[in-house]
Amino acid sequence: MSSSKFPIPQGTLDMLILQILSLEPVHGYGIARRLDQVSRSVVQVNQGSLYPALHRLELKGWLRAEWKQSETGREAKFYSLTASGRKQLTAEKHTWARLADAVQLIFNEGTR
Amino acid sequence: MITQLANWFRRKKLESGLDRELSYHLDRRIIDLERSGLPTEEARRQALLELGGVTQVQEEVRDIWLSRWLRDFVYDLRFSARSFFRSPSFTATTVLSLALGIGATTALYSLIDQIVLRTLPVDHPERLVLIDWIGFQNAETLGTENLMSYPICRDLQQQTQFFDGVFCRAATTMNFSTGGEPRLTAAELVSGTYFSVLGVNPAQGRLLTMDDDQAPGSSPVVVLSNDFWQNQFGGAQDIVGRKVLVNQHPMTVVGVAAPTFHGVDVGEVPSVWIPTVMSAQAIPGFKTMLDRRTRWVQILGRLKQNVSLAQAQTGLQPWFQAMLDEDTRRTNISRTSAENRRRFLASTLALTPAPQGHSVLRHDFSRPLWVLFVATAVLLALACLNVAGLFLARGSARHREISTKLALGASRGRIGRQLLTDSVLLAFAGGVLGVAMAPIAVRALIAFLPHDTAANDLHASVDIRLLLFAFFVSLVTGFLAGSVPALQAGRKSLDCSLRERGGTPSGGLALRRAIVTAQIAFTLILVIAAGLFVRTLHRLLAKGPGFETSSLVSFGIRPALNGYSDAEATQLIRRISEGLHSSGSTQASSIALVQLLLGGAWNNSLTIRAPTIQAGERYITDREVQMNAVTPGFFATLGARIVAGRDFNEHDALNVDAPHQSLPVSESGQRAVIVNQAFVKRYFGGRNPLGARVAMGARPDAKPDSEIVGVVENISYRNVREQWEQAYFPIGTKLSGSNFYVRFRGAPESAFRSIRAILRNVDPTLPITYFRTLDEQIDRSLNTERMLAALSSSFGTVALLLSLVGLYGVMSFVVTQRTREIGIRLALGALPWSAIWLVLRDALAMILSGIGVGLPFVWALGRLVESQLYDVKPSDPAVIAITILVLGSAALGAALIPAYRASGVNPTDALRVE
Repeated sequence: MSSSKFPIPQGTLDMLILQILSLEPVHGYGIARRLDQVSRSVVQVNQGSLYPALHRLELKGWLRAEWKQSETGREAKFYSLTASGRKQLTAEKHTWARLADAVQLIFNEGTR
Repeated sequence: MITQLANWFRRKKLESGLDRELSYHLDRRIIDLERSGLPTEEARRQALLELGGVTQVQEEVRDIWLSRWLRDFVYDLRFSARSFFRSPSFTATTVLSLALGIGATTALYSLIDQIVLRTLPVDHPERLVLIDWIGFQNAETLGTENLMSYPICRDLQQQTQFFDGVFCRAATTMNFSTGGEPRLTAAELVSGTYFSVLGVNPAQGRLLTMDDDQAPGSSPVVVLSNDFWQNQFGGAQDIVGRKVLVNQHPMTVVGVAAPTFHGVDVGEVPSVWIPTVMSAQAIPGFKTMLDRRTRWVQILGRLKQNVSLAQAQTGLQPWFQAMLDEDTRRTNISRTSAENRRRFLASTLALTPAPQGHSVLRHDFSRPLWVLFVATAVLLALACLNVAGLFLARGSARHREISTKLALGASRGRIGRQLLTDSVLLAFAGGVLGVAMAPIAVRALIAFLPHDTAANDLHASVDIRLLLFAFFVSLVTGFLAGSVPALQAGRKSLDCSLRERGGTPSGGLALRRAIVTAQIAFTLILVIAAGLFVRTLHRLLAKGPGFETSSLVSFGIRPALNGYSDAEATQLIRRISEGLHSSGSTQASSIALVQLLLGGAWNNSLTIRAPTIQAGERYITDREVQMNAVTPGFFATLGARIVAGRDFNEHDALNVDAPHQSLPVSESGQRAVIVNQAFVKRYFGGRNPLGARVAMGARPDAKPDSEIVGVVENISYRNVREQWEQAYFPIGTKLSGSNFYVRFRGAPESAFRSIRAILRNVDPTLPITYFRTLDEQIDRSLNTERMLAALSSSFGTVALLLSLVGLYGVMSFVVTQRTREIGIRLALGALPWSAIWLVLRDALAMILSGIGVGLPFVWALGRLVESQLYDVKPSDPAVIAITILVLGSAALGAALIPAYRASGVNPTDALRVE
């Protein structure tokens, strides 16, 4: 809806999902709502790439899924982080921080 | 990847799960949107838009579950299978051609693997070597090949610096009984080190050891083979300690070998192992076990860990030379001629690797089997070409479909993959069918191999190596056959194909022509090979053994195996002869010491003294003469003419001792010998030899005192191929083993019955070593030739059929393609035969170029088969000419059918195709 929003790269989407799930198990729609909050601020998350991402992360063994009763009373598929998923999240956060630092360094140089 | 494969089987569950997930998401979103004020329809539309389309999401998730290429592959398989079921004749032809090619290759590979390649099931077979004497051994031979004397084996066992162990063995047959009727059984005489060097374990009791290898006659024990124990004794648990009789000598069973061990010879599996020290009991009349000048065992050894074969070979020569020197000082060598002594001292010891053991079967059949394998490979190549041609035809028929797919966005690679899947699937189907057919083929091939008392260790089952081989061949075949149309599919430009009018495009025709040309070349090779082998067999059968084989039967007895002494045996044989002579169904009967047409012969040199040769000086034959000892009337029984002099009579027979030993001088009467025409030609230059005298052997003190009393025409001794010098002596009074030759009258069955009755009358338990007609014997001796002729003919026929099918396919296609052109020509007034000629000219070009390409290969491959042929050269012009004629006319005939169709084209119809 606004030109300030740009599409999110796939790797970042994975990281966001892992981060959201690091707090508590959520079902697909819940993740979509949280991501929507993120979208409203900065980036556009294509809802269509959510479920492929979830299944991909599940295949990689970073997520675990189980059917539980949701807040509406219906059964929904809840995703939660596995131990290796947690490790992956930490690693990605590290990489992201270092990347951000490096970019910041270059900006600093530029403005000097 | 494994998860993805597993997901394939769970996909229904996964799909339904995803459906639930997505519907939950959509429902929640719709509710939320409705809550924020949107009407239901609008909310639903928005929700779907946001998700980006349910189908798209499903496809993407599916790609994650099953990975793209797996899904594509499964889809391709289904698509191929469906299209194959829709064109059954194409599928059937292709699968059958491939099945034939792959089945034949697999069957032959199975046989080659078992006979030539497979190593013995023992520890470290690669360290086994065969030790052989190269040069003149100056010894009496008892057996087949690579033989040495027993004392040498004992000596070599002391050479522990090179060998971990050395053993020797000899194959034989003996009369075996467990209390009931004795039966002829295959056995192996082995040294005490045999089982320990080979590393065989017992399944029951114990195996033979060095303790059983001490003094002659001191170890009456035997070890049974596992199969023999199962079949004859029902796997009885109390087998150890059982008493058995070997040629009427009592022995004890001390153990049973492990189930996987079948001896060292794949062609002859022994049922019983006997210590060498019991050789006098196992081979009646054999008293020379410890004689250094009797060679009867093969010696094999296991090299030490760090010793190479070359090292051992060079390291053994000094010891060997010393042994030779010592041998010359012993009395029997010193009496030989100077020439022979020189040759003796020049001998060497040779070691050859023997991981497959020692086998006469391998020696005889390696070459023919490899020749057949090459032929099978050619046949497989032909089948592949056929399939490639068929696929090309199918591809060009599908070009519309392919072009449409390309237009809809499919990549060339994707289409190529689908076509490749097509061919691989068919190739697999062909491979499976071929593997199913292979055991039948192997069984048929094994039936061609000669076998006597000893069974061979060959089986027709399909093992894992074979399956892998067939799998590999199928895969390669599928790839090769399908790759060309697959590559072709993408190459043509898109709009060019869509724009094609009416008929099918010309793409691929040049390739198909090339394929047919190659097929014809291959067929030429195979059919010429078939012609050569059939001609060889025919020539051999026509040549015949030189005597009359109809109504001639031969059987052999070995009374010594039943415990008969020499005198008793002579009596027995006399009684049998009398019985045969007085029987109404026998015309004539006689006895020979050595069986004819068995592949072996008794030979020795002769010393001749004749006034016409070297002015009466002693003259030694320059090569060995084949010898036999026969009763009077032998040649008449066989129907061989005596062209000069006379046959043996009763007097001659009385004047002879057993001819196995050298003839001692005796005063009573003269000894007689009959020679054949080849002998006269070689040593007498065709002049009259009657009256000349000969002696057996080439020793300086041999006195030529046997007079040549007759000349017989040439007959075959070892096999039908050979023509050799022969000398016949009369059978003496001592008859140890005998081969009877009986010419009977009337129907064979009744004659056989009466002969067997005579034998039973004389002694019901007498072991008959063989009983067959001479025609059968000749067939057996020609087993290899028959196998080559039969198989190459079938290959040639199949090859011809495949080529004709290919040619017909291409010519049909050409006619269809040129329908318009032919129609125009006919409309313009051309005669019908010109249309036929148009098509035939095309076919002729392919046929002639195929023959032209094939002929150089025939010339090159001729070298490979030369050794198997008889009286026919590989470049025999008659065979080549006839083959070209047959191939050419058959091919033209195949092309004639579509050509005839061409002539019947209705011009107006043809022009209307636009």
